[in-house]
Amino acid sequence: MRAVGLDLAATLDSLDQMASQRPVAAQIVATSNEENAGAAELAAMLGADVALAAKVMKLANSAYFGLSGKVTSLPFAVTVVGFNTVRSIATVALAGIDGAKALPDGFWDTSVHLAAACGTLGPQFGTTTADALCLGLLAPLGSALLHQADTDGYDDLVASTDLGPQRFEAERQRYGLSSPQLTAVALEHWRFSAAMVTVLREVPNGPEGALVRTAYELTGRLVAPGRPRTPLAGLSLNRVTESQAPARLAVIRADVAALRTALGL
Amino acid sequence: MPNTATPCGDPRHRHLPRQPGDVVAAVLHAAAADTDIALLVAELDPGAEPVVRWINLGATELLGRAASDLEARPLEAFLRRSDGGSLATMFRRERPTSTAVTLRTAVGELVPCRASAIPAPESRLWTLRIDPAQTDLELALRASADAHEHRFKTLAERSPVPTMMSEQGMRLGHVNDALCGLLGVPADKLIGMGWTAYAHPEDLDAITTTVVAVLAGAERETEARFVDSAHRVRYTNMRFTPLHTPGVGDGFVATLEDVTERRAFEEQLNHQATHDSLTGLPRRTRLWEHISTAMADPEAGLTCMFLDLDNFKVVNDSLGHTAGDALLVEIAHRLSSSVRPGDLVARFGGDEFVVVCSTGSLDTALEVAERILGVLSEPVVLEGVEIHPRASIGVVLRGPDHHSADDLIRDCDIAMYEAKSRGKGRVTLLDERARNDACDTLSLVADLRQALEERRITLCYQPIVRHRGGQTELASVEALARWQHPERGAIPADVFVRLAEEHGLVKELGELVLDAACAAMSAWQDELGPLAPPRVNVNLSALQMSDHQLVASVERTIERHGLCPERVCLEITESALMKDPGTASLILGRLRDHGVQVAIDDFGTGYSSLAYLRRLPVNYLKVDRSFVAELQEGHTAVAQAVISLAHSLGIDVVAEGVETPAQTLMLEQMGCSLLQGFGISLPLTAADLVDWRRSGCPAPPTDTP
Repeated sequence: MRAVGLDLAATLDSLDQMASQRPVAAQIVATSNEENAGAAELAAMLGADVALAAKVMKLANSAYFGLSGKVTSLPFAVTVVGFNTVRSIATVALAGIDGAKALPDGFWDTSVHLAAACGTLGPQFGTTTADALCLGLLAPLGSALLHQADTDGYDDLVASTDLGPQRFEAERQRYGLSSPQLTAVALEHWRFSAAMVTVLREVPNGPEGALVRTAYELTGRLVAPGRPRTPLAGLSLNRVTESQAPARLAVIRADVAALRTALGL
Repeated sequence: MPNTATPCGDPRHRHLPRQPGDVVAAVLHAAAADTDIALLVAELDPGAEPVVRWINLGATELLGRAASDLEARPLEAFLRRSDGGSLATMFRRERPTSTAVTLRTAVGELVPCRASAIPAPESRLWTLRIDPAQTDLELALRASADAHEHRFKTLAERSPVPTMMSEQGMRLGHVNDALCGLLGVPADKLIGMGWTAYAHPEDLDAITTTVVAVLAGAERETEARFVDSAHRVRYTNMRFTPLHTPGVGDGFVATLEDVTERRAFEEQLNHQATHDSLTGLPRRTRLWEHISTAMADPEAGLTCMFLDLDNFKVVNDSLGHTAGDALLVEIAHRLSSSVRPGDLVARFGGDEFVVVCSTGSLDTALEVAERILGVLSEPVVLEGVEIHPRASIGVVLRGPDHHSADDLIRDCDIAMYEAKSRGKGRVTLLDERARNDACDTLSLVADLRQALEERRITLCYQPIVRHRGGQTELASVEALARWQHPERGAIPADVFVRLAEEHGLVKELGELVLDAACAAMSAWQDELGPLAPPRVNVNLSALQMSDHQLVASVERTIERHGLCPERVCLEITESALMKDPGTASLILGRLRDHGVQVAIDDFGTGYSSLAYLRRLPVNYLKVDRSFVAELQEGHTAVAQAVISLAHSLGIDVVAEGVETPAQTLMLEQMGCSLLQGFGISLPLTAADLVDWRRSGCPAPPTDTP
């Protein structure tokens, strides 16, 4: 597949344009972690975007957090799911992909599986479930941006590669960077924490990317069972073994169901 | 590019109003000389690379280069993006950006930094602030935080107290070894929502409700059961503390105290409190709870059986209490194995058991009852003796009149008594007549109790006279209790005396009668003087004969009314005497010692042995009215024998039921001079007796020729 390069500036421009259409999401995304003023203030912001608020309420009441039906107010919902998760949901909205019709094949399926997989694996990698969930939810954002910039080319790329290292390498060769790395650029652009940016930048290769890299592999095993497997030990830097995989996959499968309902995907 | 892309409404990113030139100069001067902060201004023309336009002292020190060496040079000469991307993407007109970069110093050292690019309004300039990626202070704080985290983690993981930690809602981020040990599962099965699979399904909702309160900031405690990997129920006290992790969300830390053994002990105590220690069966409290719970559902079928062992006292008295207990244990075992799952067998008390079946079918209920009867009748060997237990079972199906456990138990008790009265060893279903009779009796007993309290039991007095040589003199009067019921009219004495005996009112009735009789004697003394009856006879119930307080009570009453004890004669039936001859003899002896006279009533109807009679401290025998009645038919043998016996023992004789002059004559000829009956006088009120005495004790008119 020939290299086409990627106009990063144009991609970031398009993101900024999207922001104008979702001002509430933009405001939440622009609020950095350190500036987080509290659940009440965040809930007040969220209240101006009914779709976004409903998503947060639904997530807080989902089986994923075990509080089904007991979260009755938006501030409480924000409290439960946490600022980072709200910001991640807002980011997906801001990127315009939550309502987009043209997305890479199986985009949401992959996203939800990655979120569940990261959430499950997080504690093993020293990452909180909440942060891990956000990483998983946001990681495929780059693939949506690549698809927007090069729809046909990216569709071909997806069709001809397996999720994981093979696809990351194909993306790197065609666009100069892989989709998680493009996500990292976008998140850096929106002033997400350096730690998150680093993790996503190192998904294809690097110690900080081990969690998401392992989650991609387990996601691949669930959404495309026939694809060749990459050993977990190497991907996870020996944190997850093959013997642990069946139990992990069962938990991920259950969480996927909960998250899919909660996020309306 | 439209300006609307600037994050809306956030004042921190709005353009500042234009400042006067002297203010700008002052700020620029300070910034230029500041060594603590590295600043530079870059210019970016369309299609070109960013170029340095200005640099402050802090930046020159950081780079180790002179300002003149840097100005007008491409930024890329000493600053690169860490990810290798184009520097141009840092320069956004719409917003400040923050990018990880690498600086190359004059000596070729690469320093990781973060570069914040702030666009200047309406120009192609950006101010770059460059900070080392992590300052010494940040590194120190991070190290300290890591150390704290490590200490906490070690403490929690090594703690013997089972601990769980959630960072978001119910999702666990950490569990310690003690919790894994408590539930017998590895940590990875508990992390996330996995732990909820080990919470007892009935307690999970309560746990969730508690967590909701904790997430709202409250500390909470709750009791919750967990089911471990071996399917054993573990009782725990969970103590929750809210846990807020900035950015991540709100969760909790919960410690679990395993109170399984304590609960088991408490349950054992509770079991002991609610179960019979001999048979292990539930006691009354549990029985009531069980029935009440079942009755809470108005549609639920319910049958109650009251079971009483026949002749249990015989086993106890003949083979001893140990054998009696063994029989009860065996019966309990047989009952428990005869009923269906879900039915309850309870020990009601003594040799009484209650079986509660969850059926509304009469056929099923009777089938269970008959099965029980059959199983119970299998022989039991106690102390080498083969016993064939029998029981009377009263069965009642829950009906519309049953509003409480009391109603149901009462009715099956009634049915059981029906079974007993119909000949024992049988099953009786409560019928309407039996229940109405029982209700009627209960109502009458309540009225009797009230009548006693209000002293509405009155007395009549029937004279006992002595005929001697054509002379008649009043020897005594027998006090006879009367109860005029306000609605039912006169209640026969044998009816209300039996009720009093059966319902624990006999002491009150006996005391009332004795007190009223003594009061009448005292009043007659005042009113009639020498014509007053010399003695009053008062009947004692068989039950009073086992009351050791009786003697003292009699003495107090006689004394209270200022009477000589000899003026009171207590009558006790022969059959009552024979129920507990030892105690009766003792009590009568003490009464006699005190001076009170004693008579045996209805003599000849019981089975007293002559030897026994000789030892009894008795003043009179009263010949039963049945023997007097048969005199005129020529049957004189029994009456004659009784009179002769009394004479031979030196005891006086009173003939009861004398109705005719012929009977009077015959009895006189037999040597019986003390007579009582309608032929002598009808029972009289206290006032009528005064008139009767003053008018010379006239015999009542008689139809007998």
